[in-house]
Amino acid sequence: MGVHVYGIRHHGPGSAKSLALALGQLRPDCVLIEGPPDADALLPLFASEGLQPPVAILVHEKDDPTAAVYYPFAVFSPELQAARYAVEHGVPVRFMDLPIANQLGLDRKKNDDEVSKVRGDPLAMIARAAGYDDSERWWEHMVEERQDGREIFEAIRFAMTSLRRELAWDVAKGEAESKRESMREAYMRKTIRAAMKEGFEEIAVVCGAWHVPALVDLPAEKVDRQILRGLPKRKVESTLIPWTHGRLSVSAGYGAGVRSPGWYHHLFTARDDVASSWLVRVARLLREQGLDVSSAHVIETVRMAQTLASLRGRPLPGLEEMNDAIEAVMLFGNVLPLELVRQELIVGQALGAVPGETPMVPLMRDLAKQQKTLRLKPSATEKVVTLDLRKPKDRDKSVLLRRLELLGVPWGVGGDRGAGLGTFKEEWRLCWEPEFAIRLIEAGVYGGTIDVAAERYPLERVAQTEQLASLTVLLRQVMFAELPDLVPKVLAALESRAAMVADLTHLMAAIPELAQLVRYGDVRGTSTEVVRDVLDDFITRVAVGLPAASSGLNEEAADEMFAHVMNVHGAVGLVEAHKDLWFDALEKLAGQESLPGLLRGRAVRLVFDADRIDRDEVERRLAYALSTAAEPARAAAFAEGFLRGSGQILVYDEGLWAVLDTWLQSLPEEAFVTLVPLLRRTFSTFTAPERRQMAERVKHGNRREVKRAERIDEARAEAARALVERMLGLS
Amino acid sequence: MTDAATQLIRRQAEDEFAEELAALAEIDDKQRPPNWKLSPWATLTYLLGGKLDNGFEVRPKYIGQRRLIEIAIATLATDRALLLYGVPGTAKSWVSEHLAAAISGNSKRLVQGTAGTSEDSIRYGWNYAKLLAEGPSEGAMVPSPVMNAMRDGALARIEELTRIPSDVQDTLITVLSEKALPIPELSMQVQAVRGFNVIATANNRDKGVNELSSALKRRFNTVVLPLPATAEEEVTIVVDRVEALGRALEIPAEKPALEEIRRVVTIFRELRNGKTEDGRTKLKTPTGTLSTAEIISVMSSGLALAAHFGDGTLHPSDIASGITGAVVKDPVQDGIAWKEYLEAVVRQRDEWRDLYRACREQL
Repeated sequence: MGVHVYGIRHHGPGSAKSLALALGQLRPDCVLIEGPPDADALLPLFASEGLQPPVAILVHEKDDPTAAVYYPFAVFSPELQAARYAVEHGVPVRFMDLPIANQLGLDRKKNDDEVSKVRGDPLAMIARAAGYDDSERWWEHMVEERQDGREIFEAIRFAMTSLRRELAWDVAKGEAESKRESMREAYMRKTIRAAMKEGFEEIAVVCGAWHVPALVDLPAEKVDRQILRGLPKRKVESTLIPWTHGRLSVSAGYGAGVRSPGWYHHLFTARDDVASSWLVRVARLLREQGLDVSSAHVIETVRMAQTLASLRGRPLPGLEEMNDAIEAVMLFGNVLPLELVRQELIVGQALGAVPGETPMVPLMRDLAKQQKTLRLKPSATEKVVTLDLRKPKDRDKSVLLRRLELLGVPWGVGGDRGAGLGTFKEEWRLCWEPEFAIRLIEAGVYGGTIDVAAERYPLERVAQTEQLASLTVLLRQVMFAELPDLVPKVLAALESRAAMVADLTHLMAAIPELAQLVRYGDVRGTSTEVVRDVLDDFITRVAVGLPAASSGLNEEAADEMFAHVMNVHGAVGLVEAHKDLWFDALEKLAGQESLPGLLRGRAVRLVFDADRIDRDEVERRLAYALSTAAEPARAAAFAEGFLRGSGQILVYDEGLWAVLDTWLQSLPEEAFVTLVPLLRRTFSTFTAPERRQMAERVKHGNRREVKRAERIDEARAEAARALVERMLGLS
Repeated sequence: MTDAATQLIRRQAEDEFAEELAALAEIDDKQRPPNWKLSPWATLTYLLGGKLDNGFEVRPKYIGQRRLIEIAIATLATDRALLLYGVPGTAKSWVSEHLAAAISGNSKRLVQGTAGTSEDSIRYGWNYAKLLAEGPSEGAMVPSPVMNAMRDGALARIEELTRIPSDVQDTLITVLSEKALPIPELSMQVQAVRGFNVIATANNRDKGVNELSSALKRRFNTVVLPLPATAEEEVTIVVDRVEALGRALEIPAEKPALEEIRRVVTIFRELRNGKTEDGRTKLKTPTGTLSTAEIISVMSSGLALAAHFGDGTLHPSDIASGITGAVVKDPVQDGIAWKEYLEAVVRQRDEWRDLYRACREQL
């Protein structure tokens, strides 16, 4: 008869076991759990068939979903076990922590500093007193690995009471300690009192060990009323979302991250011998990696772990003993595979699932439905999926992933049409992160289904985006996500922004993406004509404005411009249009004395590559730019612009090689000596093998120059064609 | 202590630390595996040091990770053999000797592994005079340390296991799995008494050694002994050992200043890791192992020099030749690395001037 307070550790498998036992003995008629009362309505779901831990309760502010709090639960969380017990036995169950609605209103920073000092890890002090340097390990040895947990709750209460007394952490003294902490405890007491008033006789209270002393002796009601007076209140909503073991291992929500959720899961669920079944799993994992681990190894490892445990004075081998034994027996002292064991088993890759009847925002429900019809299940480990866009189902999957990406949910990454895959194939890497739920809730304001939200959300982004390059990316996303109605709108925005742009580099940055769209278009058959118009306009403007925009740049800006010029050059080559316009602009650059050397050198090179000027002319310009009277830094920059990134080309391109060679040989000796440092600056950027190849070439003298034929002899070419086709695998 | 005992250059662990072993045995009330002289807990205290309840102080023999010694002792308590693995100078043999001393009270059942180690030294040999006179008999048989250990239920030690030819190594398989050593000549076998086990050491630096066959490897639990993790730990080890050696060799010099030891430890660690302790300068790594054991020998030979040829106090000049000798194993490559280190690092440290000058003179 009365109130029974059970101090647990959040995510403690031993606590969960002991608690289940204790509840079975007590048969309470009411269960109160430390957790957000905002989510009381979700509690019945904990016993539902469809719920697979780990899951998390997500409570967020209604108007601002980013203000959110997660409460994760694994199968070994005592809270989850308590809730399950209550629901299965038809006993009323409630959360009793200070509602998130109130907590969100409090200024976190101001109140939390004090707590972090002591509350950060209250057990650390007891653990240190017991000679452990790590409180998690201490708790594990003392509580979680204990076989018989009946008296444990009594002991915890005693320990915590003494600890709080030592720290002078008084229940009633709200002001001196953290205000928030005392508010939470006051609210818990308030909930307990309410349950008592309702006439429940055996009330089971499940809370973090630290809170036990505050809930055992209830002070006068008016003290709590005083503490809780004038609490701010926000409008919140709550739901259940799938969680992962990986995410459990970091601090979140409860503040108590556990380092080994996979191990805890095993501790809690293993029916028979914990050590043997764990080591069998480890052995199987190591075998998959090609390590020889026999059953004899497993037996020896179990014995070793047990001996170590007894040497260390522990009732059963813990994770540490397991790892030590694995290292010595299975791995011959090699610790690297243990990292794999940690990732795969000790932390684990489990992803939970929530029951269908969970209240969700419509967007999440829509996603769940689409995932089901498309058979695209979320998983916590990265999975590579290749889609063939000619198949309708794959195409739908691709559209779903792209629309999610538009909404800020990068479930799938990649999706590039890789070179080796052909235009109809897309390769995606899928990995579900629990946080995506919050983004979906955020995007929920744009519509009830993914399709509708994806139609509307980009419009808002278009309005906010100033950068041309970001707009072109958005344009691609929209086209690929099959939202044709949006294309004209994004294009219109692009054009109107471009009209206002004064800085030519912004236009240049936007060109490559547009060129890609025009060149490769869209396998789905969306017309790209409209895009081409915009691209034409951009290229024209760049070609006209480039000579003026390039002069008087400092080194850094010239470097940036260099990249832009190369990008636009590539784009022009890609769409095969406006070549004359572009090369005219480049020729102008090449002749412009005031230009930074880097750009000028590259312009000369580009027009030379396109056969716009002949070899003699290039030699002349090279000699001119690098003549002794030229300022050394400028001359060096010219050489760099001319040759940057061309190590391989220099080795194989006869024309370029010959130009350099002729020029070098024409230099008088003194001039050569002064020029060496300048040339070195460029040549040192080539890789060592490239430089070696060049040196080889110099050593062996000029090879016979390959003469380009004036006229192709069709008949002779035909003779070789069959063989070439076979070599290229065309026939 | 008899006169003869003090005449020895180095005494075995069980003799030198007899007092500690006796004190531990006296208070040891924990359960002992069959034929163990001490319980695993007392063995652990013996190796790692500590203060007993009666105030007796046990000196630490191994300074480093506690868990490694725990694994080693737990291994011996099961019936698996123990393989201590690591680069030279990481206290493998040292740990092996002390484990044998604590557990069996005798660390002398030792086989030194070499390329020439034959089966006889692991199984048994014959006294040929007797063999010819009496024919095969137990009296004519010369048991190996391993066989003796089997009969006595004690630990046998095998040093440098990987240097022993593979076919000879594999003789151990029967011993370790069947716990028996057949003697076909006499149609009998020696069966191991409980408490028997093997501690082997092997180093992973040498090339051209004989890797263990997987059948044999499976019978060993492997413990890798690392180089000391921190400079402080290494300084502690060196101080402790240099002092003990100095006492044993009766070197009259006063004990070296901690500062001097710290400098040498720093030099060795920096060269070993290929970078300075502040992580700002990259260094060439010499070919030698530069282990803690070598620091200890540099320090003690420095002490001897100071005592017999100097004024009794350790000066940088006393250790300079030792350091140079330990670092420069390959005259060409190591010589360059060492010179670079002297110029780039030692010379730059103001308070190291004396050491720099002393080392320069050696080149």
